Amino acid sequence: MGEEQLLQEKIQQICASPGASNFGDVLVVGGGISGIQAALDLATAGFKVYMVEKAPSIGGHMAQLDKTFPTNDCSM
Amino acid sequence: MQYPDVFNQEISLNKAVHIYFPQAIPLVAYIDESCLYLKENKCQICVGVCKNNAIDLKQAPVTKDLNVGAVILAAGFEPYDPKVRAEYHYGEFQNVITSMDFERLLSSTGPYSGEILRTSDKKHPHKLAWIQCVGSRQVIEGGNSYCSAVCCTYAQKHVILTKDHDADAECTIFHNDIRSYGKDFERFYDRTNNLPGVRFIRSYTSIVKEDPVTKNVTIRYSTPDDGVKEEEFDMVVLSIGLNPPVGAQETAQKFGIELTAHQYCKLNPANPMETNRRGIFVSGGFQGPIDIPESVFSASGAGSQIGELLDYRRGKLSIERVYPEERDVSAEEPRIGVFVCHCGANIGRVVNVPDTVEYCKTLPYVVHAQEQLFSCATNSAKEITDVTKEKGLNRVVVAACSLRTLEPLFRDTVREAGINQYYFEMPNIREHNSWVHSKEKEVATEKARDLIRMGVARACSLEALQEFELPVNKAALVVGGGVAGMSCSLSIANQGHEVYLLEKDSDLGGITRRVHSTLDGMDVQEYLQDLKRKIYQHPLIHVYTNAVITDATGYVGNFVTTVKSSRGVAEIKHGAAVIAIGADLSTPDEYLYGEDDRVMTHLELEERIHAGDEKVANAESVVMIQCVGCRNEDRNYCSRICCSESIKNALKLKEINPEMDIYILFRDVRTYGLKEDYYREAASKDIRFIRYEENDKPVVEPGESDEGKPVLKVTVTDFVLGNKIELDADVLALAAAIVPSEETNKLAGQFKVVLSPDGFFKEAHVKLRPVEFNTEGVYLCGLAHYPKFLQETINQAYGAAGRVLTLLSHDIVIASGSVCQVDEKKCMGCGACASVCTYGSLAVQETRQGKKVTVNPVLCKGCGLCNAKCPTGAIQLKHFTDDQITSQIDAMVAE
Amino acid sequence: MCSGRVDMAHVLRAFSKGMDGVFIGGCHFNDCNYSTGGNYHALNMTLLTKKIMEHIGLNPERLRMRVMSGSEGNLYAEHVNDFNKKIKEIGPFAVSEGIDKEELISRVEKVLKLVPYIKVMMNEKLRVPQVNPEDPEECDKYFTSEEIDKLFNEKISYYIEPDKCQACMTCARRCPVGAVISAKGQVHVIDQEKCIRCGNCIAGCPPRFSAIKKIEAGEPVPPPLPEGERTVVRKGKEKAEVS
Repeated sequence: MGEEQLLQEKIQQICASPGASNFGDVLVVGGGISGIQAALDLATAGFKVYMVEKAPSIGGHMAQLDKTFPTNDCSM
Repeated sequence: MQYPDVFNQEISLNKAVHIYFPQAIPLVAYIDESCLYLKENKCQICVGVCKNNAIDLKQAPVTKDLNVGAVILAAGFEPYDPKVRAEYHYGEFQNVITSMDFERLLSSTGPYSGEILRTSDKKHPHKLAWIQCVGSRQVIEGGNSYCSAVCCTYAQKHVILTKDHDADAECTIFHNDIRSYGKDFERFYDRTNNLPGVRFIRSYTSIVKEDPVTKNVTIRYSTPDDGVKEEEFDMVVLSIGLNPPVGAQETAQKFGIELTAHQYCKLNPANPMETNRRGIFVSGGFQGPIDIPESVFSASGAGSQIGELLDYRRGKLSIERVYPEERDVSAEEPRIGVFVCHCGANIGRVVNVPDTVEYCKTLPYVVHAQEQLFSCATNSAKEITDVTKEKGLNRVVVAACSLRTLEPLFRDTVREAGINQYYFEMPNIREHNSWVHSKEKEVATEKARDLIRMGVARACSLEALQEFELPVNKAALVVGGGVAGMSCSLSIANQGHEVYLLEKDSDLGGITRRVHSTLDGMDVQEYLQDLKRKIYQHPLIHVYTNAVITDATGYVGNFVTTVKSSRGVAEIKHGAAVIAIGADLSTPDEYLYGEDDRVMTHLELEERIHAGDEKVANAESVVMIQCVGCRNEDRNYCSRICCSESIKNALKLKEINPEMDIYILFRDVRTYGLKEDYYREAASKDIRFIRYEENDKPVVEPGESDEGKPVLKVTVTDFVLGNKIELDADVLALAAAIVPSEETNKLAGQFKVVLSPDGFFKEAHVKLRPVEFNTEGVYLCGLAHYPKFLQETINQAYGAAGRVLTLLSHDIVIASGSVCQVDEKKCMGCGACASVCTYGSLAVQETRQGKKVTVNPVLCKGCGLCNAKCPTGAIQLKHFTDDQITSQIDAMVAE
Repeated sequence: MCSGRVDMAHVLRAFSKGMDGVFIGGCHFNDCNYSTGGNYHALNMTLLTKKIMEHIGLNPERLRMRVMSGSEGNLYAEHVNDFNKKIKEIGPFAVSEGIDKEELISRVEKVLKLVPYIKVMMNEKLRVPQVNPEDPEECDKYFTSEEIDKLFNEKISYYIEPDKCQACMTCARRCPVGAVISAKGQVHVIDQEKCIRCGNCIAGCPPRFSAIKKIEAGEPVPPPLPEGERTVVRKGKEKAEVS
């Protein structure tokens, strides 16, 4: 219990300190469909997420696909 | 200067300054390495042209330090590069392309705007061939020994789409087993196979030559009937497999994680999202060659485990959006602002946008109209907000693309300006106009006017709507106490939520109780006991055994489920429900099953091997028949796990007695993904694989061996040799179909969810929403969704937990304001509306004024069927009322 | 919103504006986005509207429904182009029908007013998804011309018998379309133009009065009492009660 309080205080301290803009909960490496899903879920569930992607856009290989099987839905 | 466009697989050209692709996020132009300035320190024309001074050619990479509590590695995969094997002639023969190239050809944003054209002469190919397993299932230098798991089905997709483009196209797929192991894949295969002019040929191939004049490509292959043949094709598509992501080793080193021999992330078999380093998780293609749904739910699953780890700091760093107070404009006369989007060149190159803007200014109630290059760009959205405030607009019309994608963004923009978000209308002048009329500029401009005029008319009659804030009960109900249900429960409970876990049996474990090992050697029973212990010990998990659901009511965030169990009758209130009821094993009705005790299912064989059954251990010869009771007319699907299950049993038997004769009679060996290596191992250990066809099944009869020993005589046609062979079996194992649980239909009715054609539960979207239902607040995992392996089940169970947490971590859930409402005075109580509402949102009630309908807006999904059925217009779907639609129709002809 | 939201009134509204054709696009059958099967409802509505169009001399081919999925842009374009071609073949509204444009519009408008009545009478058949959409013949036969003739030519009516009406206002309150002309102490009268024949008035009229009569199709509705002569003649027994 005390440990948790300590942690919380520590987090708040770090948040308040200069340069805190680089403090987050999760780093997601890759902005393809899997990375996007993970980032969205985590952000929705209350976490601050950083995502890094090597291409100029997120979307990964799925964005290159025309349609997806077996429904032939648009992959965009 | 133009350079090969990487996004279009370098088939088309692009400038150094460009937008990555039309739907890129962020949708901004960037400069790539082909820039003359970056290469040779010259040009710089762009800097001068850009009015906003947005270009900084001296920008240098910066290193940023991020402090985070956990990491997800979702580095994806890399398409196999066929250039490493000269025999494919990729890059040499112009009309040999890869499947990724073909994807871009098919796409309307692709190099030829969706036309399939040959590289050599830009003509439509008529005769196409696909070569499967390029870079996969090959133990050669530069190849991968595993199966890439997606190529069979994507090639079928290519064929269907090719036939859509050109119904007369002749399509040939050269393959070695069609691996339609996924949900609805078998039907997809049938659909492809039944198209005219489509051939599936089971043969190894080689690309022989390119015709110097026509540039056609000749393929050599063989068939049992005709022997070796050569055939010419207009275009050859290489179905390339999946490689580990580029830089996998570097990533591994940086993060201190281990890789497998295949250079994928090394996974914990009991928790495939976990790496060897605590706090670092893996999802998607870096786990191994997997399809999109697995990539999606492993991501949600990794997210859920991070939620377990970091629950103590949830919400501490997140920022709540604060919107300005909403201005009540209901009494004001409409003041409409119209923003016409160029969408780069997408609209602007076809529709005369400046003229259209001038036209907008002449429309009634329009007080502002302007053009924007990309309305969805951050600065443009801000401009909309600013102008709305400045000019006191009370309606906003953005004429741009499909509202399916961007309506949420613009609603947000409108909210930022202090206007109710439903005062927004979005005529689609891209998909519905500039894209389809790209060659008729004048007509397109006229149509843009029509569409905007209709939009403006509708905007006048829009009303402010309030969304519903429903409280969220923080508990979850998990139906089914197998591995899926237990894993999911555990992850939810570890994030501080009460979980009610229902099991119809007297004990937890489900079908996994009968499984003893996995192909990669995990002790399943030990894992299961450990999991059960964790469940029983968890203070937040309440287990109900012998449980039967007698009633289920409520809606997202507020379900009430009545359960009869060993604990008596309980009424459970919960915010989310997870359906994880697993599946059953069918009982075969052929091959003497149930008549002869030497005949058993594959699962029974596994149990008997594990129990040390002497009859099995001492057998001289074991025959296994695959696809028993599935891949047929009644059950047109593949049970996915049986090929691997039989190979697992066969390998175990070979461990016991290497001399044992083992025959696996199969239709296609579907050891997809990394399981392929075990298939190879089995073949190398002299386990014999004999293919049979659906219309020529093996025949089993009791008989005697040459030595006079009583055996089962199994007769099967060998397609390679073309003759009948007779096998003597001491044990016959049948790969019986996995079938939906008996409870499926009842539960579907109770939770108002739907089933797929094969009778398994149907997820909201096969690719993108694989662990949830369209019915909000209800989730899905495990075999209830479709047969799958333990590892996939664990991925999916955590995935469902991750999705559940996106709901339960909030105190409220927002429901759309576009729901129906009843004007009681006009209601004649006929009940026509209630009879068509499958959501149970409407009820006819007796009042002093006779029968009247009442709406429970929380259950309404806004389909509007009731509205169309109502004779008097008493029930109206808000945001799509008769008045709003009629005003649009009237405006259509106003000119 | 679902294709099942498309109201017959929307379709007729477009024709009443002289539109040459109306196209309804929905999801593939048995692949419902909402899981309500609303596209079957759209189909039923389309089939009925086509028969009604035929009845008033408007070429039913001017209305068409086709199904496609959100990903089948090509198919959508194909369907629309095909429909466009068909409409061009048919020619402009009213011209190819050989009917004066104003006359045809007024016929459409007349039906438009009857939409509530049509829905009351046809609700049962509009609702049930029992036609096989793949079978054009079955679709064509789902609603018959005889049925439509009967619908338009044999309308039943409701009539308030002046000598029985005690001006209790119940029927007026129950009428969903405000078709009952009522005032305190005045015999109520049903505006036959507004009436949608739902029968709510007859169900609402207190049994001790039983003032409303159903008049079978083909029989004339007696003219209403002239205004000024509508004062209620109280029955002895009820008198005390009412006053």
